[in-house]
Amino acid sequence: MSSLFNDYQPGSFFDEMFSTPDAAREHYAGIMGSIGTLTPPEYAARQRTADAVFLRQGVTFTVYGDDQGTERIFPFDLMPRIIPHKEWERVESGLIQRITALNMFLDDVYHGQKIINDGIVPRELVESASHFRPEFMGVKVPHGIYIHICGTDLVRDGKGDYYVLEDNARCPSGASYMLENRNAMKRTFPGLLQSLPVRPVDAYGSMLRETLAHLAPPSVIDPNIVVLTPGVFNSAYFEHCYLAKQMGVPIVEGRDLVLKNDRIFMRTTKGLKQVHVIYRRIDDDFLDPLVFRKDSLLGVPGLVKAYQSGHVALANSIGTGVADDKAVYALVPKMIKYYLDQDPILPNVPTYLGVDPKECEYILANLPNLVVKAVNESGGYGMLMGPHSTKEEQEKFAERIRANPRNYIAQPVLQLSRHPVFQGDHFEGRHIDLRPYVLYGDRIHVVPGGLTRVALKKGSLVVNSSQGGGSKDTWVLWDDQE
Amino acid sequence: MLSRVADSIYWMARYMERAENLSRLLLSTQDLLLDAGEEAADESQFWGPILMTTGDEERYAKTYPTIEGELVADFLALRADNPNSILNCVRAARENARTVRDQISDELWECINGLRLFLESPEAAALHQSQRASFYERVLVASYQFQGIASSTTPRDESWHFLRLGLCLERADKTTRLIDTCSAISFDMPPNPLARPLRWAALLRSSSAWHAFQAYSSNKLNPADIVEYLLLNDTFPRSFAWCIEAMHTALISLCGSGRLEDMKAPVRLLGRLRADIAYITMEEVLKEGLHEFIDQLQSKLNDIGASFFQTFVNYADITAEIEDTSSPALSVGAWHKAVDDNMQIQQQQ
Repeated sequence: MSSLFNDYQPGSFFDEMFSTPDAAREHYAGIMGSIGTLTPPEYAARQRTADAVFLRQGVTFTVYGDDQGTERIFPFDLMPRIIPHKEWERVESGLIQRITALNMFLDDVYHGQKIINDGIVPRELVESASHFRPEFMGVKVPHGIYIHICGTDLVRDGKGDYYVLEDNARCPSGASYMLENRNAMKRTFPGLLQSLPVRPVDAYGSMLRETLAHLAPPSVIDPNIVVLTPGVFNSAYFEHCYLAKQMGVPIVEGRDLVLKNDRIFMRTTKGLKQVHVIYRRIDDDFLDPLVFRKDSLLGVPGLVKAYQSGHVALANSIGTGVADDKAVYALVPKMIKYYLDQDPILPNVPTYLGVDPKECEYILANLPNLVVKAVNESGGYGMLMGPHSTKEEQEKFAERIRANPRNYIAQPVLQLSRHPVFQGDHFEGRHIDLRPYVLYGDRIHVVPGGLTRVALKKGSLVVNSSQGGGSKDTWVLWDDQE
Repeated sequence: MLSRVADSIYWMARYMERAENLSRLLLSTQDLLLDAGEEAADESQFWGPILMTTGDEERYAKTYPTIEGELVADFLALRADNPNSILNCVRAARENARTVRDQISDELWECINGLRLFLESPEAAALHQSQRASFYERVLVASYQFQGIASSTTPRDESWHFLRLGLCLERADKTTRLIDTCSAISFDMPPNPLARPLRWAALLRSSSAWHAFQAYSSNKLNPADIVEYLLLNDTFPRSFAWCIEAMHTALISLCGSGRLEDMKAPVRLLGRLRADIAYITMEEVLKEGLHEFIDQLQSKLNDIGASFFQTFVNYADITAEIEDTSSPALSVGAWHKAVDDNMQIQQQQ
């Protein structure tokens, strides 16, 4: 037992690293024999070096509602989260199954609506989803794929079983931190990653590019791909830039693009140049002021028209938000059964829908024990953590739920798994989740691992960067030592 | 290359060069006054011209009652409310670099970002309080690093040429402004009582030209030779003539020299200015009047800067072809001041 973990208490939770206070799990043996032998001051020095590098490189996100445009580094904890090979295989096949079903669902919703007509998914639920885009009914999208990039959030409960917490099917963020975290590990512990059987993640950039190139109009051999960002003040601007650079494609803002003959062009120093695929990191609402929000200065007037006419492709497609609506989420296991005739490999967290009168009653009666979420919010906003909330907060939420039950769902509070996280001079357990990235091009790729997010506040279950979360490098092993 | 990217690279280089020039100006003036005798009794005659070169006399007068070294340094180094302070120049350079991070090398970005982190730190404020010279040197070194890294990591394509255009235009502009601060003082040499050798030495030092000029000129500190050197000599890399030649080279690489009839506006303007500078003599400059001559150069530089923008960024000729949608409400070019950032806020998944 190394001195780094002398006083570490896994507590009554599922701890990713320790099965008992004295025994690290098998797949952490390599780490225990290397990083684990450092003294706390040595380890702290490594952690400081890594933090300084992040700041100097400007690996930051912007915090809103703080001072104007405050940039922070996304706190990074050096101790990696490790997933054994066998465990990952299951997760991977579960994710592939899920994105397949979600895409079939979207194609169905925007075309035949068989699943609605067969009574599996209620029509009201789809049509009242705030990200449902009736403008796209019957519109053909390239290869019938709607979600090309998906970030599905996974958690583990007290027994260590994996659950899907939510799907992010619009503009999931965080892949750049996954890549940068790995780089930080390589710099801080050179040699360590070579000596352990860790699957690399750095192919993400080229996989993403392939996925995007697959969408280009078939007549185009060498498509021009761009990343469309809301701009330098957006909280994820670093990521937009980073991914563009990884792919070797330009990053553009709406004002760089113009519409001509139903085609989209970018303004270059040598005149207009046609764009074939846009990896857009702007929400549907802001994409095109002629179709969606009129006041948007971020989008491109006419972009939707160009997309509908097939001269330019978008990733993700428009209207995918109906699939990651938190109320529709509850029905994904049924979709998997309906479209694929399979049982879900990764189960959902049990979910109560506000829109169902019976379940709504249950929610209102059990607020102190539930997590309540607004269905179309993300980033940890619009949430009530029952056990950590005050009476007033609960009453306020109850009022909102009664006023608009469709807008709320509730889930039991899961005892999320924990992982040792370095706190000043020692390790403490903190709750974590996992966001793997799934790419759907000519085939489906799942990046081994993904972004492990950490709720840095003691006892907190909220991992979002905007709510004081941090992250860890995530290692998926090539093979498990028997 | 995207027009906005070209404009941002151009301005990134301009703002870095501006911060460098300002640091050197403050450092050399301070150095000079340390070992000056009687001539420096009235220090405002040395600090006042610095405000002239940045065009901040009015703004300064609103904040401070008198022109003193301490106050001028305070005003130009770290004041967040002075848009032309070193701090704000570096911030602007950094914001522009951030918008084109994917186009510049990581090393270049880290250099600019590192300088901005330093300037915003308490360490920088303390250093500026206690050891002003070290503070300026730190900025200068960072700017030299910037140029070195740029030179060794930037492909010789459009990025490089726009970077050169920005850097050289800013430098040419600052050199003329510096010379202009001396255009009203006597060209006489000691022992003539009108002679101001210290001011001429300050001019050379502010242009990093002291040693180069000593080596070049046998006639040590002759004011007319100094002006000629900084204006018309095409070997010294901060002289006006050198900057114009470098810009012309970059511009030809960007658009080709072409035939006369389809020559682009900046090529024509810059080619003409280059010829003017190459063939004019110092006697003719002085006959016309140094201040008047510099005034003309400045207005030509302004025209050239505007023509870059029209040709590469705004291209009025192509804009007409674009389908009439809604008029763009955001400007097309580089970062200069905060735009309404609320427009760019949306929740992240």
